[in-house]
Amino acid sequence: MTLALAAGGSEIIERLHYLHPEMALFAATCVVMVLGLSKSLAARKSAAIVTGLGLIAAAWLSLRSPGAETEALKEAILPGVMPYAKTLIAVMGLLALPMLTGVVDRAYERDVARGRAFDPLRATRGEFYAFFLFSLTGVMLCVTADDLIWIFLALELTSLPTYIMVAMSSGRLRAQEAAVKYFFLGAFSAAIFLYGFALIYGVMGTTSLPEIRNALAQSDELNPMLLLGFILAIVGVSFKIAAVPMHFYTPDVYQGAATSVAGYLAFAPKAAGILVLIMLVSVLGWTHGATGITLPAEIRVTLWVMAALTMTVGNVLALLQDNVKRMLAYSSVAHSGYMLVGLIAGPGREGDAATSGLAAALFYLLSYSVMTLGAFAAIASLEKRTIKGEMVEVELLSDLNSVCRTYPAVGWSLVVCALSLLGMPPLFGFFGKLALFTSAWEANEKILVVVLAINSAVAAFYYLRIAAAALFEERDEFEDRLALGPAPWRRLTAVAGAAGVVGLALFVSPLLRGSGDATQLGSQQTFIAGVDAENRPAQGIVNPSIAATIRADAEREQP
Amino acid sequence: MLLAVSDLSVYVPIGILVLMAVGFAVANIALTLIIGPSREGAVKGQAYESGMNPLMSARKRFNVRFYILAMIFLLFDVEVIFLYPWAATFGQMSPQTPEGAVFLGRIMFFLFTTVVAFIYAYRKGVFRFD
Repeated sequence: MTLALAAGGSEIIERLHYLHPEMALFAATCVVMVLGLSKSLAARKSAAIVTGLGLIAAAWLSLRSPGAETEALKEAILPGVMPYAKTLIAVMGLLALPMLTGVVDRAYERDVARGRAFDPLRATRGEFYAFFLFSLTGVMLCVTADDLIWIFLALELTSLPTYIMVAMSSGRLRAQEAAVKYFFLGAFSAAIFLYGFALIYGVMGTTSLPEIRNALAQSDELNPMLLLGFILAIVGVSFKIAAVPMHFYTPDVYQGAATSVAGYLAFAPKAAGILVLIMLVSVLGWTHGATGITLPAEIRVTLWVMAALTMTVGNVLALLQDNVKRMLAYSSVAHSGYMLVGLIAGPGREGDAATSGLAAALFYLLSYSVMTLGAFAAIASLEKRTIKGEMVEVELLSDLNSVCRTYPAVGWSLVVCALSLLGMPPLFGFFGKLALFTSAWEANEKILVVVLAINSAVAAFYYLRIAAAALFEERDEFEDRLALGPAPWRRLTAVAGAAGVVGLALFVSPLLRGSGDATQLGSQQTFIAGVDAENRPAQGIVNPSIAATIRADAEREQP
Repeated sequence: MLLAVSDLSVYVPIGILVLMAVGFAVANIALTLIIGPSREGAVKGQAYESGMNPLMSARKRFNVRFYILAMIFLLFDVEVIFLYPWAATFGQMSPQTPEGAVFLGRIMFFLFTTVVAFIYAYRKGVFRFD
């Protein structure tokens, strides 16, 4: 008992070493929050720079974070995931940061410049960047998580700041409406996956994922309560990735939020959700079914139906939209469906990243993030002047008419990102899809491959509508005048996103190999009952009394 | 399954407890209705306010600052709770261990985050009551 306590205690301390990138982000958050309230304009403006520095530090620390070669991580669910996924998150945060400039406090700073006294109560700049960093910290914690409670906290840390970011993103009422909808539905989804977690804990007696996996490896059949728990957890977490049946909020929230924040919503909660889903499903393992290489039948069917419906619903409803923000929202729903295909396909053949669906899902997350951030940033860089002379954000597809001629950099970035979202070779998005196709084919999910192919064809229609509007449509004089927005940095995200989808296509094989290494499943340590159990370090067991219970059970079972 | 609960009989004590809780509540209400003396009156029907005469309706608006102040209280409240297990463990550490400084540093960092929150609240004007 004392041994277990010591082992459990030191393990928490050990884990602190995995959290260096998160700590960097948190330190930056503390500074940014106070800087945003400073009296001097220069200090307030430096909040975004400090945010960027924090992200750079986090990216650097992420590259050096412990990977599969670390002894203590051998038994983790995904031993090598940390360096790759955390770097991905930090770099995508850096890519998103210029897009998020100028969202809050624009009108207020104008007033202050005109001579109004600065009142910290009215300024929200610091909070905005702080919430952005908090949310990214949550996504990173999802990568480190190996415990159900940890997963819950990390997911909520990802989502709670985004609710507020939506509310503060625009002075318009619909932003607040969007935030309230998002918050209540988010709480609802949290309740669902928490109930799932509770059932899993009730059956297994532990919240530690490696422990659950090791115990499951012992038994041939799965407890129905446990399966129900996993299904509820998967459905609840699918809110974060906006998969059917939890996708209803997506278009409303993306439309209500400022375009920049909508772009961020299309990345951060999705990254967190898909990473958690990979982790949860890996606990069950792809060792079931008649062939012994699929998920348990119930889970596989759930994910299969979710994937097929998500792709189809997302793409078909995107066809009907005239509002480009809603269109991209539904497109993000569809892309979540694509990523779920990778989860069904599973890890593939040992050491062959090309056949691994998990690698494909993670790789697709990377390509999707680059192109969706680029597309949203291109739209966020534009504004239009209404008849009344107000400057409002661009929303309708017709607003984008002939943007390639008026503002070539923004227009072409949008076109390139839309084509990449479509999956046009040789852009980055094509390779993401190719990896999904290959892995699903290898895993013998031929019907799903067909569904995926049909959906890609359907998606072509609306992405080409965006591209055609930007390239070919004429703009008549009755339409609202298009203008560049007041936040020039946003164009940087747009251009960088477009450059990313072109440039990263040259590095497909190292990136795919990297995601393959990141999603290599940990070794399932077989549970040895009896003498060995006594000396076995209680790895992964948070609650020492449960470790003792497991040991006592093992001793009793021994003949 | 290691700890699978296939036999629902382990939940019997919980069921008994739930029954006792519900039974106690229902029995109290029922017994007061049956055996309690029932005297009505204007004074008896008044809202109870710790012996004071109720002055006005309780449904009035409070200044929003009270809520903000309550949230700041939560900040320090939670901080103090975290200090207890830390202090309990720190007392048991032998003075020679090299981890002592790290251990102290960690809690100092934790306290520092509270200071940041305090500075933030101060700048936002939470403690200004004018």
